[in-house]
Amino acid sequence: MSEELGSTAQGSMTASVATRVLGVVAAAAAALMLVLGLVVSPADVVQGEAVRLLYVHVPAIWVAYGSFGLTSLASALLLWRGRRRSDGGRHYDRLAGSAAECGVVFTAITLVSGSLWGKITWGTYWQWDARLTTTVLLFITYVGYLALRNLPAEPTVRARRAAVMALVSFVNVPIVHFSVDWWRTLHQPASLRIGRRPEITGEMYWTLLYSTLAVSVVAAWLMIHRYRVIRLEELRDEAGLAVALEQRRGEVVG
Amino acid sequence: MSEVASVVAGYGLAVVAVAVYGAWIVARGRSIGRELGIGDPGGPNGQEDGRWT
Repeated sequence: MSEELGSTAQGSMTASVATRVLGVVAAAAAALMLVLGLVVSPADVVQGEAVRLLYVHVPAIWVAYGSFGLTSLASALLLWRGRRRSDGGRHYDRLAGSAAECGVVFTAITLVSGSLWGKITWGTYWQWDARLTTTVLLFITYVGYLALRNLPAEPTVRARRAAVMALVSFVNVPIVHFSVDWWRTLHQPASLRIGRRPEITGEMYWTLLYSTLAVSVVAAWLMIHRYRVIRLEELRDEAGLAVALEQRRGEVVG
Repeated sequence: MSEVASVVAGYGLAVVAVAVYGAWIVARGRSIGRELGIGDPGGPNGQEDGRWT
């Protein structure tokens, strides 16, 4: 993972030429995803129009899993190698924070789209089903992780505390994913599984795969910009601390 | 709510959530950058432009 995510473009604080290109690609990919999901893909024989919600719901949770995985990886690297780095591992901390925030946004999208799908298919927005309950727990846990990151503390200590919480929180990700296999749930089994014949085929299959790619590109854009904003927040805090120290020195001398 | 209305609501809420989050990130970056004078050659951190990323 490289520390340099590109130099900034003129006139913008978090954009670079590369991320501007990525932004255009993400917007175009998302627009095509809407066309495929809402227009091109047919209604399902069993689920009817509700199947279209799966093109948002499934990619959103996969991107959330990936984001939380990245948070865990960066957190593990921070705890393992952070002290050996010249920046004290703050690069890993920024990466973990930006990925977790993105994961929380996509988990919220998963919950809302799933709830709307549930109303059509099950006749209710919510059931205390194993998959739904563990997903809500995942959302709450990572909101807690983001809250911990904002508690006032010495930055290195705060980063290490958050890294430990990130690793503990990730335990819930496989529980969410395999909950449909481990317990009898109202939620349907996974639509796509590695090494097994997919539950969906044809245009629906390709729309789902394409939607996952499109949502991943959008998430990458969000994460890169959020990483840069966290760096800006650090610079602002450092500048504020320097000013406060200067004032204190002035008071002592005066 | 009809099936179609639920589908439109699902897509609409997802698009709005991502757009609002993206706009908040960009606005926050601009606001803090302006505060720090990054990108402004006359500002206190005018030379920071290529360093903070």
